[in-house]
Amino acid sequence: MSKKILVVDYEKCSGCRMCELVCSWRHKKEFNPAKAAIQIVTMREKSIDIPIICQQCDKAMCQEVCQPKAISYNIEYHAYVVDEKKCIGCKMCISACPVGAMNFDSDKGVSIKCDLCQGYPQCVQYCPMGALLYIEPEKANLKKKYIVAEKFFSEFLSGRRST
Amino acid sequence: MKNKNSYAGKFIRVNLTSGKIIIETTPEKLLRQYLGGVGVGARIMWEETDEKTEPLSPQNKLIFLTGPLQGTLFPQSARYEVVSRSPLTGWWAHASAGGFFGPELKFAGYDFVIIEGKSPKPVYLYIDNDIIQLRSAEHLWGKTVPETNLIIEKEVGDKQVKIACIGPAGENLVRYACIMSDYYRAVGRCGLGCVMGYKRLKAVAVRGTKGLSIADKDAFDKLFNDWIKRYTPEGRYWEHVSAMRTYGTFALTDWENAIGRLPTRNHWTGYFENAENTIGMQPLRKKHYKRHKSCFCCGIQCKYVSEIREGKYKGTESEGPEYETVEAFTSNFMSTDTNALIRANYLCNIYGLDTITTGHVISFAVECFENGILTKKDTNGRELRFVDKPENSTKVMETVLQLVEDIVYGKDEFSRLLQLGTKKAAELIGRGAEKYAIHVNGLEASGQDPRPHKSLGLTYAVNVRGADHLTSLSSLDELGYKEELVRRYDKKLVDILADRWDERYKGYLVSEMEEFYALVDSLLLCKYGTMWPPLYYFDDLLKIIPIFTGFEEYSDPQELEKLASRIVDLRRAFNIRLGWTKKNDDLHPRFKEEPIPTGPAKGQVCDLEPMLKEYYEIRKFDWETGLPSEDELNRIGLQDVAKELKKKNKVVKNPKIPKTGRKWTHWSQRIK
Repeated sequence: MSKKILVVDYEKCSGCRMCELVCSWRHKKEFNPAKAAIQIVTMREKSIDIPIICQQCDKAMCQEVCQPKAISYNIEYHAYVVDEKKCIGCKMCISACPVGAMNFDSDKGVSIKCDLCQGYPQCVQYCPMGALLYIEPEKANLKKKYIVAEKFFSEFLSGRRST
Repeated sequence: MKNKNSYAGKFIRVNLTSGKIIIETTPEKLLRQYLGGVGVGARIMWEETDEKTEPLSPQNKLIFLTGPLQGTLFPQSARYEVVSRSPLTGWWAHASAGGFFGPELKFAGYDFVIIEGKSPKPVYLYIDNDIIQLRSAEHLWGKTVPETNLIIEKEVGDKQVKIACIGPAGENLVRYACIMSDYYRAVGRCGLGCVMGYKRLKAVAVRGTKGLSIADKDAFDKLFNDWIKRYTPEGRYWEHVSAMRTYGTFALTDWENAIGRLPTRNHWTGYFENAENTIGMQPLRKKHYKRHKSCFCCGIQCKYVSEIREGKYKGTESEGPEYETVEAFTSNFMSTDTNALIRANYLCNIYGLDTITTGHVISFAVECFENGILTKKDTNGRELRFVDKPENSTKVMETVLQLVEDIVYGKDEFSRLLQLGTKKAAELIGRGAEKYAIHVNGLEASGQDPRPHKSLGLTYAVNVRGADHLTSLSSLDELGYKEELVRRYDKKLVDILADRWDERYKGYLVSEMEEFYALVDSLLLCKYGTMWPPLYYFDDLLKIIPIFTGFEEYSDPQELEKLASRIVDLRRAFNIRLGWTKKNDDLHPRFKEEPIPTGPAKGQVCDLEPMLKEYYEIRKFDWETGLPSEDELNRIGLQDVAKELKKKNKVVKNPKIPKTGRKWTHWSQRIK
């Protein structure tokens, strides 16, 4: 499987939290946003919703600080995964994660981390707004590039303004 | 997460007088008999209050309820219900809101919260999983809804806390104040915010991190994709789902105007000329849409944020407006000023007012003024007018916007009069003002008109909370869902049922909707998806209820019918106990006698009686008195209710049930 990453289209997210519930249901067989690996941060006064997701960092701090070596990189679907049998619940990974994407399952005493659903991320499949994308990193910003290109075209190339 | 079904399993009882908080296990029998939401609410209100319980008294209860679907992945289950006795109408009150509050209450571990008593000082209830506290709200008293939210978020140090609160309108006992949750979602009708204000409960703030289970996990997994599909281009009503997703509920403005059903000029007519180009979905989307929003885990996604980009109120921003608000603050005054609409919506949101009643209470006053019943002397110098020419919209709406704020704070005698709602204000004004007080049983008519949509007349007349559009409205005839009518009913009846102007069989149709929505409001599904578009019906509920609750008996239509009737009749019994009679099952004369003067439905009036007869026939009510049948109450498992009503002489052993001679197969016989 070629490497793909999770990307958020922040313009599209409506903050419905379907992703959180789908995640907790698929992984934990319960409905609990607190046990989801993806979580939406809401600033309701500004009506802003931002999904916070594991970025599968190339230098993964969660893995580096993990003493029992419970976090390993799966080369098949390019995700760092938590081995629940090895995880001792020390929560070092939670402190280490630079984007705050690590969560904790208090019932089981293990860390929760996005494993990209073995290459078929359910949050992407069920997002009603299409705000989550699962694509090759090389193509990740193609949409933004097109937006910039169109703007560039309308500003300069269409003749309204000369360079 | 040890539950074997999707209920949270516990409930909270808070006595504000003593400050005592009790956590109890939710009795399984109560859930089995009433499911949740309005059903459970009706049972508790029946048992714990009586006809002597005044709406604004410590004895009245205010109950926040969820149902078995809240907090689960079911694609439109964000709502929570609040029930009480209404200070606006004096009758039964239920109202619900979407957003995130309801699911969060379940994640905290509670199915419902019963509020009783009256606090000596302003307080707010804070629930964080197992921690439940009554905290001082003296510093919050007088604050608007957004201010209250921000202060509480900061105080508890958690921006993910979900808050249901009142604004100054509730504190000042405006009879149609609402409860606002998640900043912009309103528990709108019947004045439940006023009850909260009377009890000096400023807010309920909830944070929960517990999980929910489900009775049948495998069956859920099998059906989940089928439910989700209904919100995609593969779904039967994708066109409507997608219109709601693109425009929100104000897509209705255009559709209602096209059938002459858009209330205009205080329900004088149902047609607002050129609405499509001024207040319709396209101009609103173009001029005011800012970004998309949604309720918890919703498949439809009809919410959005609107902003004002020009003029005096530039920068005003709020979620909404919904269709009902659009109608109440534009065509209702003949105004085309959408900036004033967004502003009015914003004001109602931050002060905590029901937009429907607020708009209509003011338009009532305007019509009184235009007809000389009110003069400048009565209105403290206010010149109350409908818009005569579109270009005068802004000027007229300026007076309306000012009046909204004056009502909130009771600035003068006139605004204090309007704080009481249309019915009471008309009584106090006298001089024939009731002619323009367009309410049914004390609740102002919403953005619908029974003349171009006959079945709605019955809906308004028999609804337990008055003229509202959410307790039994049929959208099948309204919006012409012929395909759905064919799917559901006898083919011979389809043309009659689809005809908005034909009263025949509509009594049965409305009664069926009432039973359906009783279940919908108890499971707590959204009306979008059950009413408009009709994505779900009884056949779905027969599967959904057992999957989530494990109550297998409800996979049998006969048992489901008893459950639905139990909820419908118990709510009615609550009103019967308060003195509701056949006289209450009636409409405002405007809908029955004044033919609609303009638009596609010109000349139409609503003939209530034939529909009422059908309705009484199916509900087995006594035609003379409107009282329920003792045998029927016993049949559906309300023996104790029948017994209590019998003591009060409010139940009939051998009711005179109208015989219409029409053939109708009840849904419980049709659906397998």
